[in-house]
Amino acid sequence: MFYNVAYPPSGSLSKCANATGTSMNRWLFWITVSVGLLLVSAFAGLSFMAGGPMDAIEMVRFALPQMHMGTLKAGDAAPDVRLVALDGRTRFSLHERTGGRPLVLIFGSFT
Amino acid sequence: MQIYSDYKDHADFLTVYIREAHPLDEWQMKANEKDKDDVCYVQPRTLEQRIAIANDFTKRFNFPLPFGVDEMNNAANNAYAAWPERLYIIDETGRISYKGGNGPFKYDPKEVRAWLAQHYGEVKHAGRAQAAVREVVSVKLQGKEYGASK
Repeated sequence: MFYNVAYPPSGSLSKCANATGTSMNRWLFWITVSVGLLLVSAFAGLSFMAGGPMDAIEMVRFALPQMHMGTLKAGDAAPDVRLVALDGRTRFSLHERTGGRPLVLIFGSFT
Repeated sequence: MQIYSDYKDHADFLTVYIREAHPLDEWQMKANEKDKDDVCYVQPRTLEQRIAIANDFTKRFNFPLPFGVDEMNNAANNAYAAWPERLYIIDETGRISYKGGNGPFKYDPKEVRAWLAQHYGEVKHAGRAQAAVREVVSVKLQGKEYGASK
């Protein structure tokens, strides 16, 4: 009798554990659903930006690793770099084109 | 190119050709396909290939701006975080005066025009002014029609 009072029957203890487990499962379920919805929304947004689902995948694969904000900011000295002229032989430095007048730099490619 | 025509007497311009953004072997865009813009190149692996594409570009568009090509170590691209496209203005003292955002979404030539206009005055075009007048007249006419039908 004393034993039963101090230590409730294993049946009731087990019910308590089940209740906690059910609550945890519910939380896990909603967290998973929320994360899933966020991922789906992010993918939909990327697809919209990129032009389609396949483009979104390609964007993540090829574009995002190459896009950088960079550390340069207004007021910094413009870094000097060597460039090649269209003849493929002549090389010149960017600093050769600066000084005297402002220089508008347009970076880009054909595609 | 219009900005170049408008301000080339006040500022220098330099186009820097960097690694391709949408080559055939990476993320090719549908708009670049043969039946559309027909801009189909693989990512250049040698400087000769890069120079050849840059020449194709300037010839195809009769591109008048001074041109430089980034070396294969992508030094210019790396130094200026330029890929896929970006605009800068370096002032007379060699310091960065304007840094544009990453293209295509934050690539905004209007900001460059605004900078140049602030320093050298706004350049107005008859075509633009006429278009603006046409728009105003059109809006007024629509207002009249709407008022008349009431």
